[in-house]
Amino acid sequence: MAVASPSRARHGQHGRSTKPSEGRAAWWRCCRAERGTGGRAAVPPSRARDRRHKQEFFPYPEISNEELAEINEFVGPVEKFFNEEVDSKKIDQDAKIPPETLQGLKDLGLFGIYCTPILLYLKWICLGGRGGLGLSNTMYARLGEITSLDGSIAVTLAAHQAIGLKGILIAGTEEQKAKYLPRLASGEHIAAFCLTEPGSGSDAASIQTRATLSEDGKHFLLNGSKVWISNGGLASIFTVFARTEVVDKDGQVKDKITAFIVERDFGGVTHGKPEDKLGIRGSNTCEVHFENTKVPIENVIGEVGGGFKVAMNILNSGRFSMGSASAGMIKKLIELTSEYACTRKQFNKKLSQFGLIQEKFCLMAVKAYVMESMAYLTAGMMDRPGFPDCSVEAAMVKVFSSEGAWACVSEALQILGGLGYMKDYPYERYLRDTRILLIFEGTNEILRMYIALTGMQHAGKILTEKIKYKGNMGVALGEFLTRLQDTLGRKVDLGLIGDRGVVHPSLQESAKKLEENVYYFGSTVRGLLSRFGKTIVEEQLVLKRVADVVINLYAMTAAISRASRSISIGLRNHDHEVLLTNIFCTEAYFKNNYAMAQLEKYADENLDDSIKKAAKQILEKRAYICSHPLDKTF
Amino acid sequence: MRLSWVRALPRGLWGSPGVPELCRSLCQRPARAPTERGDTAGTPKPRGPQRRHPTEGDTARGDTPRGDGDTARGDTPRGDGDTARGAASAWHRHFQEIRDKERGPEPRDHRRGHLGGDTSWGGTSRGDTFRDDTFKGDTSSSPPPHHRSHQHHDDSHQQDPRDGDPSEPGSPRRGPAAFEAALRAMERWPPGRGGRLALVEAALAAMEALGVERSVAAYNALLRLLPRGPWVPRGPVQRLLFPFPRQQECGLQLLEQMERYGVIPDAETRFLLLGVFGPRSRPLRKVQRMMFWLPRFRHLDPHPLPPQPTRPGLAAARLGLHRMAGDPGATVTVIQPPVPDTGDDEGSVQPYIVSSQSPEQRELLAQHDPARAVFVEGPFPLWLRGTLLKYFVLRGDPLPPHLRDPPPDPERSFYFPLELQLELERGPWDDEEFDVDEVEEGPVFALCVPGAGDRRTLARWISALQEQNPILGRAPVVFRLNEGGADPREGPQTPRLGTGTPPGAGLEPPEEGERGGEPRKNNGE
Repeated sequence: MAVASPSRARHGQHGRSTKPSEGRAAWWRCCRAERGTGGRAAVPPSRARDRRHKQEFFPYPEISNEELAEINEFVGPVEKFFNEEVDSKKIDQDAKIPPETLQGLKDLGLFGIYCTPILLYLKWICLGGRGGLGLSNTMYARLGEITSLDGSIAVTLAAHQAIGLKGILIAGTEEQKAKYLPRLASGEHIAAFCLTEPGSGSDAASIQTRATLSEDGKHFLLNGSKVWISNGGLASIFTVFARTEVVDKDGQVKDKITAFIVERDFGGVTHGKPEDKLGIRGSNTCEVHFENTKVPIENVIGEVGGGFKVAMNILNSGRFSMGSASAGMIKKLIELTSEYACTRKQFNKKLSQFGLIQEKFCLMAVKAYVMESMAYLTAGMMDRPGFPDCSVEAAMVKVFSSEGAWACVSEALQILGGLGYMKDYPYERYLRDTRILLIFEGTNEILRMYIALTGMQHAGKILTEKIKYKGNMGVALGEFLTRLQDTLGRKVDLGLIGDRGVVHPSLQESAKKLEENVYYFGSTVRGLLSRFGKTIVEEQLVLKRVADVVINLYAMTAAISRASRSISIGLRNHDHEVLLTNIFCTEAYFKNNYAMAQLEKYADENLDDSIKKAAKQILEKRAYICSHPLDKTF
Repeated sequence: MRLSWVRALPRGLWGSPGVPELCRSLCQRPARAPTERGDTAGTPKPRGPQRRHPTEGDTARGDTPRGDGDTARGDTPRGDGDTARGAASAWHRHFQEIRDKERGPEPRDHRRGHLGGDTSWGGTSRGDTFRDDTFKGDTSSSPPPHHRSHQHHDDSHQQDPRDGDPSEPGSPRRGPAAFEAALRAMERWPPGRGGRLALVEAALAAMEALGVERSVAAYNALLRLLPRGPWVPRGPVQRLLFPFPRQQECGLQLLEQMERYGVIPDAETRFLLLGVFGPRSRPLRKVQRMMFWLPRFRHLDPHPLPPQPTRPGLAAARLGLHRMAGDPGATVTVIQPPVPDTGDDEGSVQPYIVSSQSPEQRELLAQHDPARAVFVEGPFPLWLRGTLLKYFVLRGDPLPPHLRDPPPDPERSFYFPLELQLELERGPWDDEEFDVDEVEEGPVFALCVPGAGDRRTLARWISALQEQNPILGRAPVVFRLNEGGADPREGPQTPRLGTGTPPGAGLEPPEEGERGGEPRKNNGE
């Protein structure tokens, strides 16, 4: 096993920042370690800190043998259940999960995987409560791998625990937890998360549902309707976000978002009929209406007016499991399609002998490997003590895995040809189910903005601090020297490889590529910040590229870290892992270089201007405005 | 070869100032070509048709002042010029009357000057714009003699200035059918009685009135009136020496008119011109260029108007509002039709009101502080081709700076930060904004094109807007009329309802104080 070793620490690092908000963007901390080159005089270098950054990713997180045994013990029956009892085709056709399947899931305890903190677990036992397994994020990721074999069930479970009851879990009072969690964890009650409204997706300002305090001050009256609520028809506990009037510090009355726990029994809760969807048809999605629902004041999650933070935390924390879920699905698909490719013969050759088919299998394996690595790395980081904020990493996992899953399913269908298109086979269902991954839990576009902007905010702080400390001339000079050095050819060494490196030597090529990318990405970001300043928020095309590069860097890191560990401890088929890692890293390296080359250019050179202009012309007319190719003027 | 006579010319002549005239006169000599049809064969008499009759002689003089001694021989052809006058000028006059009636006495199309400049009879028909003629009635009969042309000026079809659009379908006076009938009648005129050029020119001027100014077939029909062959230069030298200038000018004039109306000549136009003027002549060159360029320019206008000219009225008001308020979500509503459908006033005439407001404007208005006034401003001019509309806007004052950009709410976006807390500004190289001094303007809340610009009509508009914008009931509405855009000549006057351009409203004394938001009692409803 690769040992985490102190780095060369030739990279300057800025002073210790104590703000908790800086806890996010762990990856950025890693990036910025490299960005600080030349800042030695400005800020005291901190070896320990630098080492810590590396330690977050190297070595790959592990769990203890007991935990592993526990997980395996738990996974076995679940896997059996999914293989034998779940009829995905029927669920898809009937657009309903049959009650006995649902009961089976509850019996397996799948509705309570995510009631994380061990303390809580102990407390429930003390309280004599049944239910929650109190397993870690890693466990949740592992189970997601299996539950994803049926998209509808996976979404039902995710809506229940990744977002539905998460509010109570992370921001609820002890009383609320004691009151609701046991029954939610056992599956007796199902939870739903009610945020989206007809006029409000990600914009909090357009939420119309309103909660007004009753005269006695003990209840809120909830009015409004929510749309596209997963589990809306099944749930009996809702996490609802509504506008409330809050008196500001300066005495002004303001509308602020508040989160409530609403039981169906409070009255006035109705739901529409289940929506007919493209994929994940078995999951229950419907409108939920609240009409003068009386919510006791104890059921406010967090504080009154603090719903925004609750919502953000819930949304930010639940995403990482999509990586393992997608990987699980792709692994299953590889089994199914390779079976087909190795038996079907054309021109006296098996399909598997054609290069173009082989390429597709390689792609699927690489994607599955990388997203798995990312998911478990993130889960491992989240399981570390102290509730580290890994929302950026989780978002990266979500973006990478949802897009990878969509590409892989599409390629799998391509391997199968016409067969994949037929309803008799499960493949088209996978395709339909996968499409939602790009959309829900924050669309990939929005998450890209989140990833890039969160990082930019962090990097920008460092840059401004440096400017403040050294003055403009010094920074400019340093910048100039760095540029000069870069053009003359700099050997980037971030301490991943070499004598005291953390990466196995057989991965050193990939690690070198990662280091180089990270270094140049640092200078690219610095350039972007000095070009755009805080107006970079408006430059979405730039931010998209930044986000893409970051996602690739994180993916490379995760893959290298995992493969390094596999070789070091001698896992089975670790040479295959090395192969996949090297393939991925090489590809990603070129993609990153391309994106960074574009980022260095101005808008008229990297097509951004033209893209925006074309879109503007189309949107002005709200139509495709080209003349028909058969049109004439004379 | 006919070039032999060139040698006989004294050498000095080639460079002397008299040469062009000489050449021209030489070239305009009878270029009689043996043609197949009597129609064309007869046309070119030894004198060009323009020399036939005095009025045309006038024009010829006006155009080519150095004509070949027209004045000297002016008297000689007068005898047969009379018949020609009877023929050509009757139609001529006919066309001209049509045109005058439609257009009024603007000299816009009198490019050649001879139509407008001909005062001998132009005065009779010009000016009495209410005269009309039964054009179609003529067409079946033989070409009208001189005295009959007045006979047809009956008053039965007096154009009612109140009806918005006189071109009702099936009108005998307009359209390709009328034009064709006129041409057919013209063809029946004994060939060779000349005046073809004048005819074509007169017809060109009348085309707009007949409503065929955008039809390429009409122009082709006109070209068919010209003789094929005789105006084709006979050799390279004649071609060199500016042959048949007046005839070619006529062809060019026709092409220019096509160009003006955006009519693209087709292959037939080119073919006809080829027959009339021969290859490489000026009209042919022009038509070739037009055929090259006009199709390429056809879709140049990103906001094309409908091909038919709009007349002031409901339709024009809608069109104008649609063009001004580019938002596709904007709703254009007729608040008050020109003729009320129900009620006691049914059948009477009232000024129409067409209003446009987009959801965005409604939202802006809803956010307007009711303590501050909104303004009705206007009239402003809006031209739709030749049609002038007057519109009014409902606007607010520019917001004070502290209200313009509300501080961003950090608790707005659930998913990503909407702003960064950085002190870095945008670098100069990525600042793509032009350095523009912007005039600060308040938001425009609604637009309106009323039939009349008086305060009562506008108050009705505001009260109708109030249904969807209740804030108008609370905010004071200030009328700032007749500023910027109103025609200063038009004083306060009673509106001519429903017709023509709405007159600029005078700054009337306030009727009931400055609050115009309340619906008026005596607004005739």
